This record gives sequence, structure tokens and C-alpha cells, in this order.
Amino acid sequence: MKMRVRSSWLLPFAGVIVVALFLFPVYWLVVTSFKTEGEIFRSPPTWFPETLYFKAYSEQLSSSSYDIFEGFRNSAIIAFGALAISTLLAIPASYGLARFKFPGRHAILLLFLVTQMLPASLILTPLFIQLKNLGLIGPSYWGTILANATAGIPFSVVTLRTYFASLPKELEESAKIDGCGIPTTFLRIMIPIAIPGVVVAMVFSFLFAWGDLVYGMTFIGKEDMRPLTAGIYNFLGFQSTSWNNTMAFGTVSIIPVILIFVFIQRYIVSGLTNGAVKG
Amino acid sequence: MARSTQRLAGYLFVLPALIYMLFFVGYPIFDNFRLSLYDVNVMNVSQGTQPFVGMDNYKELFGEGILGTALINTLIYTVACIVLQFVIGLAFAMFFAKPFRMAQRLRGIVMISWLLPATITAMMFKFMFSTNGGIINELLTKFHIPGSPVEWLVTPVPAMFALVLANTWIGIPFNMILLTTGLTTIPKDIYESASIDGAGAFQRFFRITLPLLKPAILSLLVLGFIYTFKVFELVLIMTHGGPVNATQMMSTYAYKLSFDEFNFSLGAATSNVMFLVLFVVGFLYLRLVHKEEVSGS
Repeated sequence: MKMRVRSSWLLPFAGVIVVALFLFPVYWLVVTSFKTEGEIFRSPPTWFPETLYFKAYSEQLSSSSYDIFEGFRNSAIIAFGALAISTLLAIPASYGLARFKFPGRHAILLLFLVTQMLPASLILTPLFIQLKNLGLIGPSYWGTILANATAGIPFSVVTLRTYFASLPKELEESAKIDGCGIPTTFLRIMIPIAIPGVVVAMVFSFLFAWGDLVYGMTFIGKEDMRPLTAGIYNFLGFQSTSWNNTMAFGTVSIIPVILIFVFIQRYIVSGLTNGAVKG
Repeated sequence: MARSTQRLAGYLFVLPALIYMLFFVGYPIFDNFRLSLYDVNVMNVSQGTQPFVGMDNYKELFGEGILGTALINTLIYTVACIVLQFVIGLAFAMFFAKPFRMAQRLRGIVMISWLLPATITAMMFKFMFSTNGGIINELLTKFHIPGSPVEWLVTPVPAMFALVLANTWIGIPFNMILLTTGLTTIPKDIYESASIDGAGAFQRFFRITLPLLKPAILSLLVLGFIYTFKVFELVLIMTHGGPVNATQMMSTYAYKLSFDEFNFSLGAATSNVMFLVLFVVGFLYLRLVHKEEVSGS
């Protein structure tokens, strides 16, 4: 039993090392954003900034062509807009698919499963033309919000359907005996019970839209309405050497992702397995 | 509940989302086919006549265009990513399946790489792979690796390699989590009785773990293919398809045709070829899932 004693610290220690090495790129991103231009290109590199240097952040607010907080606000508007649309549409749809028997429901579920896997670049050109004809291309968030919701809806429908289907049927039966109609049962009883599933669906709808680059940079004609990701893309294209500025952008963009991760980590793992495996 | 009520309620609940998806995804997919058979560009997209050209767009793309190159690039990239992600993901899954303190928490933290916006990941790796000041070249030179420093993102093969590494970093958690789920379904006593029968770790892995993971592995490979094949942000930001189309992918090529050259028909035709590849793979996947469900797993 010598092995057991040794492994009680060996494995956790090895685990921490593995994870630290794996996530080194994220550390490097954040650390670089606090370095001076000169320190970034120093050889050998410094593993920690000599002095914390905030100019990469403050510069974005005053002098540059792209305002970092404006980008953050744009990304938030787009992500919350897409989140709202996909949640409002996906909750009833998933409940309908989980609980009611009607002709064509298998085909409809299959349709959601398939659209979940379709990449944005597949429909980008016709969607652009369609939105242009609707007058939603140009200085407007709408085209991007509507397009991003098409990623959140199928994912939410598929994960939430599994969730609703796993709830006991007795809930609805007793509600019916108490005189609740279908709408009341759905709104007052089923949705509150399904909150953990709804949270997963909402988080992923948010993350899909938060990470979007292609819709935002293609559909929004006005530079100062584009999301953070588009700002980064522009920065890398035209000012390719100011790494601390781009890394500052990156650091700001990952803040919501890290916060979401810290608070609801266990939901995320379950969401990934439910949504992706049967997928 | 009466059958008619069931029907009516079902449709009322499902229709709003369904109509939305048909309008913003279904119609565009249909329109992609139409666009690819016509000549639609920035001049005639909103007004004027759009001439029907049949298969000319496809001929042009495979002839003078580089659609063939883009298709091969994307396939090489996808296969390389899937293999690497799978091997490392499986190693991670097996490591964190061991019962030690913090195992689950650490496994959760690995998920971060999968959740980050692809744009940010691309930017991080572009910086790390940059020829001057990039940490990867710094390390290679420090340990006197022959051939270093490498001009990663501006030489064809290293550029593809850098893209594969960046995408593998994103894909590892996905593989790890799905394989972890697969590992939990393998009963522990199979390993115990195999040990008693004298099977070594090597044999246990190849004779028990891999065969019993087969269903999980199959769906993982197919999903991995679909999610990797659509790569866009990584390439656009790290190499922009370069040098000289050496890393041009289906998605970036379609984007370039439609939104840099404003030739919407050529862009749509490229997307259609992409759709065809994904459709075949997706069809295989659905057959697979269906079979599994029928056989009761």
C-alpha cells in the first residue's frame, strides 16, 4: 500500500501542473496586456510584468479609433438580444416537443438537431442578402442579433427538451386536477421547475453570441457599433504590432466568460454532455 | 388530454421557434442553391437582372478558383485536429478519471479553453506563434532546437501546424468530457477481473477501454469533424488563409469571395460544397445515433 500513500499528493500535484500548463495561453494573454511595448519584445521574456502598466487599457478610452468600453457594450447588447430571443422561443418549443404528441414532431426535432450543427459561414451570403432586403444591414444591431439567435435556439431546444422530458408527468396531472389550464401549468409550474435547464440554455445562447465575430463584422456597417471581437480583428489587421493593446481587448472580452464559468461551472459540464452527445 | 388539444397545444408551442429557424436558416440554405446557379454580385443583388449560369460558378471555382485547394486544406486540417484532440482528450479523460483530490475541479477548469471566444484564442496563439517576441520561438531558441526560430505563420506547413495546435487546444475539453462520460459507463469489475487474469495496463487499455468506448468514440469523431470543418475565426485571424492560400479553408474562401470580392454567387457555391461535405458526414452521424437508440443505449 506504499503506492496509495504516495499518490495522495502525487496525482493532485501532477493534475495542477497539467492544468496550469494547459491554460498558460490565457495567463500569457492577461499578463501581456499589463506589459509595456518594450517589455513584450524583450528576450528572454519576463514571466510577470515588472510593473503593472495600465496604458493599454486607458489608451483605448482616449486616443484610439476604437473604444474598448463601447465594444464591450456592443457585445453585451448583441449577446443579451440573442439570448432573449432564443430563450423566449426555445422554452415553449422544447416543452411542446417534450410533452405533446402531434404529427411531425420527430421531423421537427430532427430539424433542430441538424440546424444546431450548421456553421455560420454556410448561410452567411444568403442571410446577408435577406437581411439587406429587410433593411437590417448597416448601422443596426438587429441583423447580428437575429442571426446569432439561430445558434442559441436549436441548442436550447435540444437541451431543454431533454430536461422537460425528464420531469415527472404527475406534475402536470395534479396541476390539471387543481384546475390549471395548459398555459398556466407551463408558466407557473413547469418553467420554475426547469430553471436549472433554462440557465444552461441561456448561458450557451449568451456565449455563442458573445463569441461571434463573423455576423458582427459582416452585418454591422458602422465601426463603433461592432462587437469587441470585430474590434480585435481590425486591430490585428491594421496595427499588428501593438500587442498589449490587443491583449487588453482580449482580457476584457474574456471577463464575462470567466465569471460565467466560476459561477455555474457544474451546469456547463452537464449542458455540454446533454446538448452535444445526443446532439 | 384529448388528441386535438394535444395537437393544437403542441403546434402552438413549437411553431414560433420553428418559423424563426425556417425563415433565418431554412430559407437561406435554399437560397444558397439558387444563388449558386445565377450570377449575383454587388451590382445586381438588389435590382436588375440576375442571369442564370447553371453550373458555371462551380466550374469556375474548381478551374481558375482554388476551391479544390481549400477543400483539401480543410480536410487535412480537420483530420489532423481530430486525431490530436482525441489522443490528448483521451489522456486527459483517463487521468482525471482517477480518484484523487481535486480531480473533478481540475477537469472543470480545463473547460475554459472550450468556452473562450474563438477570436480571443486566435489572437493569443497568433501572438505566441509570432516570429519576433513570440513565446514559442523564444523557448525553441532557448533549448537550441535546430531550425529555430521558425517563421510560423508565414511559411505554409508551419502555418497549418500552428492552426492545428490552436484548434486542438480548443477541442481537447470537448473530447475529454465526452470520453469521461464514456469511461463512467465501463464497469469497474471488468478491470479487476482482467487484472486477476494477469492483464497489464497496456492490455487493459487496448482490450477493454478502447473497445468499450467505441460508441462514444464514433459519435465524438463525427461531431468533431463537423465542428472542426467549419473553422473560420482561427484562420481569418492567425493566417488570413495565407501564405498564398496555403491555409485557405472552405469557410474563409467563401467569405473572401462574397465579402471581399462581392461575388455572392461564387461565395454561395463554395458554401454549398461545404454543405455537401457536412451533409454526408451528418447523415452518417444521424444513422449512427438512430442505430444506438434502437439497440437501446
